[in-house]
Amino acid sequence: MSFMEFVLAAIGIASAIGVVGFRNPLSSAFSLIVHLLAIAGLYALLGAHFLAVSQVVVYAGAIMVLVLFVLMLLNLKSESGRRIGIVRSALTVGIGLVIFLSISAPMLAQFADLPQATLEQNIKSSEGGVKAIGELLYSQYMVQFELSSLVLLVGVVGAVMLAKRKNVQLMPREGGMGGVK
Amino acid sequence: MDPITSYLGIACLLFTIGGIGLCLRRNAIVLFMCVEMMLNAVNLAFVAFSKIHGNLDGQVAVFFVMVIAAAESAIGLAIILSVFRSVASIETTDAAELKW
Repeated sequence: MSFMEFVLAAIGIASAIGVVGFRNPLSSAFSLIVHLLAIAGLYALLGAHFLAVSQVVVYAGAIMVLVLFVLMLLNLKSESGRRIGIVRSALTVGIGLVIFLSISAPMLAQFADLPQATLEQNIKSSEGGVKAIGELLYSQYMVQFELSSLVLLVGVVGAVMLAKRKNVQLMPREGGMGGVK
Repeated sequence: MDPITSYLGIACLLFTIGGIGLCLRRNAIVLFMCVEMMLNAVNLAFVAFSKIHGNLDGQVAVFFVMVIAAAESAIGLAIILSVFRSVASIETTDAAELKW
């Protein structure tokens, strides 16, 4: 593991703990931005340059701006200063262990059996750039790509439908005092 | 130990931290951010496996996960906003009743 990987992984894990640990949601959001940037760095180190860029643009840019906007729209309040009980924290540690073991054990146990990349494949996939991904997207994954645009459309329309105020309606214009009530 | 294995370990750890956050926190937006973190952990595992196998299918999967996450964040935050309008709080314990 190179030095750069180690630093980025440490930043990613520390900021992930920050997301969970900070009481103020705004601090969590900024911590998440740091986390996403660190993960983008790991993508770049793995040779997935296109994903690293789109991680920065889509996640750390667009999605986090949306989250911050919503946080600003709502009144900000730190989570009430309740103490986490002993049962709850024990339960949390237990659940964490169960999640961690149930994911990592099979993944690492079967790791040796996985077909390793040949040198030729390695060279081919190490491009990782827009060209290689784009060729795959527009040939093999054409249908899924088109469907994802439909998903985004539904997302946009659905967000507008859900977020608009129910009681806003255009009143009929009478005299000069019409307009949005 | 293969250097890629450490990426898988990191991905498992991040997924676990996200899951613990889902159990511990009550603020709906923080829960949303924990879900994003778990999606990111899975994405990291996808990219690592794509590197191991030497093909780009994993990276395309990550691309689709990002698309879904973008749509999900728009819808999810709109739902949080409308819940906030009706119960004046985004703590999940305040919106526990299935009515308003």
